[in-house]
Amino acid sequence: MSYIVETVNLSKKFPVLKGYRDIIFHPFRKKEITALHDINIQVKEGDIFGLLGPNGAGKTTLIKILCTLVLPSAGSAYVKGFNVTLDDKSIRRVIGYVISEERSFYWRLSGRQNLKFFAKLNNIPGGESDRRIERLLDFLDLSKDGHRMFKDYSTGMRQKLAIARGLLTDPAILFMDEPSSGLDPVSAHNLKQLVKEKLAGEKKKTVIFATHNLGDAEELCSSIAIIRSGEVGFAGKIEDVKLQFRETKKYMMKLRSPETGPAGKIRNMPQVKRIMPLSNGSSGLTEIEIETGQEDSRIQGFVREIVDMGGEIFSVYEIEPTLEDLFSKIVSTK
Amino acid sequence: MRPVSLIFEKPLAFVWRDIIEDTSYKLSFFMQFVSIFISTAMFYFFSRLLGDTGVSYLKPYGGDYFSFVLIGIAFYSYLGVSMKSLSETIREGQMLGTLEALLVTQTEIPTIIVSSSLYSFIWASFKVAVYLLLGIYAFGVDIGNANLVGAAVVLMLTIISFGSLGIVSASFVMVLKRGDPVSWIFSSVSGLLGGLYYPVSVLPDWLQSLSYLLPVTYALEGMRMAVLKGHSVSELLPNILALTVFSLILLPLSILIFRYAVRKAKKDGSLTQY
Repeated sequence: MSYIVETVNLSKKFPVLKGYRDIIFHPFRKKEITALHDINIQVKEGDIFGLLGPNGAGKTTLIKILCTLVLPSAGSAYVKGFNVTLDDKSIRRVIGYVISEERSFYWRLSGRQNLKFFAKLNNIPGGESDRRIERLLDFLDLSKDGHRMFKDYSTGMRQKLAIARGLLTDPAILFMDEPSSGLDPVSAHNLKQLVKEKLAGEKKKTVIFATHNLGDAEELCSSIAIIRSGEVGFAGKIEDVKLQFRETKKYMMKLRSPETGPAGKIRNMPQVKRIMPLSNGSSGLTEIEIETGQEDSRIQGFVREIVDMGGEIFSVYEIEPTLEDLFSKIVSTK
Repeated sequence: MRPVSLIFEKPLAFVWRDIIEDTSYKLSFFMQFVSIFISTAMFYFFSRLLGDTGVSYLKPYGGDYFSFVLIGIAFYSYLGVSMKSLSETIREGQMLGTLEALLVTQTEIPTIIVSSSLYSFIWASFKVAVYLLLGIYAFGVDIGNANLVGAAVVLMLTIISFGSLGIVSASFVMVLKRGDPVSWIFSSVSGLLGGLYYPVSVLPDWLQSLSYLLPVTYALEGMRMAVLKGHSVSELLPNILALTVFSLILLPLSILIFRYAVRKAKKDGSLTQY
C-alpha cells in the first residue's frame, strides 16, 4: 500500500552550540543532540493525522523535515512519493504549511495583501489568485476583514489567515503546527470544526498536525503517532492505542446496597475506586467506579460477588479511557 | 517557457510589499528625504571651507570637491545597500519569522533574497537621483558633459560586483546569524580606501595598492569620470574591465557560497533561527 506521507528510519541530530571552553580546548570535537531517532510513520491519503508528544519531543522537527525546511541526518522521508532530500521543489508544490507563528505575516499589509503576496510566490497568476483569495476569505469567514491591516487582527483571525495561506495552492497535504495554541476555547472549537468538516470533510485534504493537546487529537484524528524524546512511542489508530496501552478496564455501576449507608461493605472491595451516593443517600442508591483487569471474567466475577452480597444492580457500563488517561503511560514507557 | 511578465512577477511582488510597508511608516519615509538634503548641504558647506585646498588631487575629476564627494556619497550608497540589504533580509526574516513562510513557497531561495533587496536598490537609485538633482539645481554642480551610457555600464557592473559581495555577506548571516565579517571588512575598508570622501591619490603608495583590490575604487573612479568628465566607454575601459573581472569572479563564487550556507543551515536546523 502506498502512503501519502511515509518516513523510514528517519533520524535527525542537531549540533550543539559550543561554549568558549570547548572552542578553545576541543575545537574539533562535535557535540550533537538527537532530535529524532528511527522514526517510522505512514499516513494515508485523506487522513487527519496527529503528531502528539510533550514539548521538545521532536514534533516540530519532524514537520519541518517533511516541509523541506530541515534536512534529515539519516533515513528517508517521502511526501506524495517525493524524497524530502532530493526533491524539495516538488514537495513544496503539493503541501501547505500552516505556521501558527503570527510573526510570519507582514503586519502592515492587510490580510488580503498578505495572501496576494504569498499567492505570487506560489506561482498563482493574478486573476486566479484574486479568485482563490476571495473564495478562501469567504470560506474562513474573513471576507469583511480582508482589507484590515494584519496587526489589527485577533489571534483567531490570524490563525484563520494562516490556514488560508496554507490552502492558497490547494495542496493535497496540509501541515499544521500547534494550530490551536493561543486560541480561546470558542476559537479552538471553531478551528477543530473547520479542520474536520471543511478541510478533511469537504476538501478531502490530508491534514497532519502537531499538538500536545490530547483532546484535539482525540476529537479530530483518524490516526496518530506519539513521539517521546525523539522516538515513536506509538503509531496507529486511537482505538489501537487504547487497546495496546490500557492495562485495566473501568466500569460504572448503579446499585442499591443491601447494608445501611452508601455502598456499605462494597467500599472495602479493592476494585472499587470511587463511590458516589445518588439522590439523598438514604435510599441506598449508589454509583460506583470499578477498575478491573483486562479480562471480561473479572467484571463478571465482581458482579456475582455483589449479587451474592444481596446488592441490587440497576446498570453496569464500561468507561472508554481517554487518550489523556493513557498518554503519560505511553510517553514514560521504554 | 514562462512569459516574460511572469519572470518579473515575483520580484515585483516583493517591491510592492516593501513600498506598502515603507510608506505606511509616514514620518520615517518623509525623514529619509530630509536627511538627503541635510547631508548634501553639509558637504556643500564643507567644500566651501576647503576652497582650493587639495585642488591638485581633485584636478582629474574637474577640481571641485563638492561635485567629487556628491558622486562619491550618492553611488557609495549602492555598496551600503548591497552589503546590508541582502543580509538584513535574512536576519529580519529570521527574527520576525517571515523567512520560514517564504521558504515553503514555490520560490527559490536566491530569488527570495535578491528580490527582497530589490526595493532597497530602487530606493538607492532614487536617492542617487535626488542627490544629483539637489546638487545640480540647489548647489550648482555641472554634469552637462556626463556620458550616460558609460555611467550606466559602470553602474551595472558596480551593482553586480557589490551585489555578489552582499550575497557572500548574506551567507555568513545565514549560518552565523550575527557577526558577518564580509560586510564589516568591505564596508569599513571601502570607506577608508575606496575614494569616497577623498581621491585615492592622497593615500600613501602602499595603501593605494590595497585600494585597487577593492571594486568600490573602480566603481567610484569610473562613475566620476563618466558623470563629471564625460569620459567615453573606451576611456572608461580600465575601470570597466576591472569591474568585469570582479563580477566574473565574485558572482559565481557568491552563488556557490550561498548554496553551501543554505544547505548547512538546513542541516543544522538553523535556517529560521536567530
